Amino acid sequence: MGFENKNDAYMSGSRQPGSQPGQLGSLSLSLTPLRANREYDPIADYHHVMADFLTSTHRAKWIFSPQDLKEKYKAANQRARQALEKYGATRMEVDVDGSWSYPEPQPDAKEIVEKHSRKPLKIDEEQLLRTFYEFKIQDVCDAFKFPRKIQATALIYFKRFYLQWSVMEHHPKDIMLTCIYAACKAEENHVSAEELGKAIEQDHQMILNNEMLVLQSLGFDLIVYAPYRALEGFVSVMEEFIEANDEQLQMLQDLHETAKVESDKIMLTDASLLFPPGQLALAALYRANEVHGLLDFERCLGSLLSRQQDTHSISELTVSLNTICSLVSKLVTLTATDMKHVDRKLKLCRDPSSHDKSKKRKHRSKESSNEFHA
Amino acid sequence: MSEVDHLLSKKVADRYLKREVLGEGTYGVVYKAIDTKTGQTVAIKKIRLGKQKEGVNFTALREIKLLKELKDPNIIELIDAFPHKGNLHLVFEFMETDLEAVIRDRNIVLSPADIKSYLQMTLKGLAFCHKKWVLHRDMKPNNLLIGSRGQLKLADFGLARIFGSPDRRFTHQVFARWYRAPELLFGAKAYGPAVDVWAAACIFAELLLRRPFLQGNSDIDQLGKIFAAFGTPKPSQWPDMQYLPDYVEYQYVTGQPFRQLFPMASDDALDLLSKMFMYDPKARISAQQALEHRYFSSGPPPTEPALLPRPPPKRDSLNSKVSDLNQWEGPTVLSPPRKSRRVMPHREGIDGNTYQVDKVDEHADEIKPADGERSEHVPMSLDFSVFGAQPPSRPTINSVDRSHLKRKLDLDHYCFIRGTQVLAESSNISPHSRQSPNFFLKEVEVTPFYDREGKCTLLLGKLLAYNKKLCKYFDTNPG
Repeated sequence: MGFENKNDAYMSGSRQPGSQPGQLGSLSLSLTPLRANREYDPIADYHHVMADFLTSTHRAKWIFSPQDLKEKYKAANQRARQALEKYGATRMEVDVDGSWSYPEPQPDAKEIVEKHSRKPLKIDEEQLLRTFYEFKIQDVCDAFKFPRKIQATALIYFKRFYLQWSVMEHHPKDIMLTCIYAACKAEENHVSAEELGKAIEQDHQMILNNEMLVLQSLGFDLIVYAPYRALEGFVSVMEEFIEANDEQLQMLQDLHETAKVESDKIMLTDASLLFPPGQLALAALYRANEVHGLLDFERCLGSLLSRQQDTHSISELTVSLNTICSLVSKLVTLTATDMKHVDRKLKLCRDPSSHDKSKKRKHRSKESSNEFHA
Repeated sequence: MSEVDHLLSKKVADRYLKREVLGEGTYGVVYKAIDTKTGQTVAIKKIRLGKQKEGVNFTALREIKLLKELKDPNIIELIDAFPHKGNLHLVFEFMETDLEAVIRDRNIVLSPADIKSYLQMTLKGLAFCHKKWVLHRDMKPNNLLIGSRGQLKLADFGLARIFGSPDRRFTHQVFARWYRAPELLFGAKAYGPAVDVWAAACIFAELLLRRPFLQGNSDIDQLGKIFAAFGTPKPSQWPDMQYLPDYVEYQYVTGQPFRQLFPMASDDALDLLSKMFMYDPKARISAQQALEHRYFSSGPPPTEPALLPRPPPKRDSLNSKVSDLNQWEGPTVLSPPRKSRRVMPHREGIDGNTYQVDKVDEHADEIKPADGERSEHVPMSLDFSVFGAQPPSRPTINSVDRSHLKRKLDLDHYCFIRGTQVLAESSNISPHSRQSPNFFLKEVEVTPFYDREGKCTLLLGKLLAYNKKLCKYFDTNPG
């Protein structure tokens, strides 16, 4: 299956008929039958590494329904709440070998919690913290000039990790760095923990300490799929299909660039836990096209799906794309000030001794107010 | 069981009942164990954690990462991976022996149908890897394990890699030398699945000859051996050869006819073999095409795996011998016994010992009575100390190569600096060549960015520049 039907106009502007049949034969853009939302990935079979998506652990184990996500976040939050009641703190100690433990149970835990009015984070506060650190993952990866794929891998690791843990149990700052480290390793772009730590003045031992915990929490499913490849696939198919002239090529290229930036945004939402990478890419392309107005997107999609002889798919795909787009539009850039309150709350419930420290800190409140300034 | 339960129950380790030590693998001890959940016998690789400066063992991680995604009847199954008491445990299906043991067991007669069956299973596993864009890069008989029902499976993915990105360049220091394709010997860094096919051809030849086919004792010598067999390649045969990084001109020699090299092989076998041994990697047959070759459809049909001849199974009391075997610091026996050879003290560099292989083998039968019991347990891992000399070396990746390789692999991160010089330099790969399965063979020279310590100098520069900026991001710890 492919774009061999050259009579479809993929460009809303001028269209270029007369591309030769068989020209795209080597592309073998295979459209897998659409059974359910998560089944559909138009380019799943298209590009190199993407060829494996259909049989991947990513597809089998790590695409969820919104309800799944909700339950997982709730369960993690619940567990941390219980820990706070029982131990007076939620912070977990982690060892290099991946073992972990809660702090020593305190007989007067409940009292302490009540006395110091240590409240656990709410689920949406946890979400806020995660989002904040997800933005940071992108910042760090940008600063290191890591390729997008590494950034996306680190983000997916981070998201998968917090499907099982609460930020109250494992601090997102630590997990963020460990996820970046693990992503570099898995993507064969190795950076030493020391280099990573040194460059950002963090203890690299912390990264190594958390590595096994992260790997284990990921179920050792380390190959993940980002939308960028899929995007490349879509764009190069279009390029060839329309036999674009130089001007159109440039426009397509601009569209591609915008779509990459849109993909970056999409990767910050939960969309990567809900939809396959092909759909993320389509949504990115859709959003980019909103800016450029280059393609007749609906026709594009329609022609893509007409090859599947499945009349339901177009509406289902549209629903998916809309969902992804609305997730992106809800994305807000969080500032350090937004985070101050939540971060303080996190500190208090994580660490039993932090209350006293925070008292001392008040004397130096000027210093500490910097904490989230980037 | 969901990942959470899996994690929180902490019961994973209880699932497996450890039994005897099978031996020492590439990166840790290997145990035999029983999976109480399925009743299946498994092999558990135990990898120490915590000491490494770079965290979890890279090779192990690579193997886990790829095997998690590669599920095929002809690829070893990774059943589970979990940390326990300071070790990372990898649980594999248990395999009885390996192809090297079959090839070297003089009591075994391999019929043409048997050879066809072994080759077919090898190629099936390989074709699957390539379909999933994975290069194995360490194909050799002792990485082809054989299960209790004769099924052959590709194992040891510690050197394997995903390929397919046009701007990725790999180290050429892969494969044991005797199985290394000529493009690798000429230093190619952009290569593709054809390197695995060459190695498979060497294994095919080894099945026919019952000895390693091209036993070079250095990279130069290896090329010499290849050319002596097939003739020095002419530019018309392999146009890209002269552009390879380490290309040196060899004196022209004419090769020998395939018929003469493999007198026992059928015409179809020879035809397939010659296509797998094509010099030009672009012209070399792919694993999938090889499976469709008429060699597999013409008679005799490949033997059913369960009926294939195999060395006698080892007794279970293997563990009682372990301490004994350890005395000479040679290989401890594992499943399969030959695996151990790779952890033997490095014996490369003693030129001329490679041809002892067959000689030693011939002596093997004479030794057996004298050392009957042990050789019964470990038929192929003879105690070579009898000779007062070193055992014949089947070159694995030698230690120099290994450390070089490790560094190379660990630092195989050209993508790191992608978007800057590398892309600029490799931009002569046209978008169209991306679609060609052979695009990797286009040689694009990239200046190395590594300093003597193997650190990427450009990267370090960048890191320092970003140091200040980044520190701000992480200053979340007031006071």
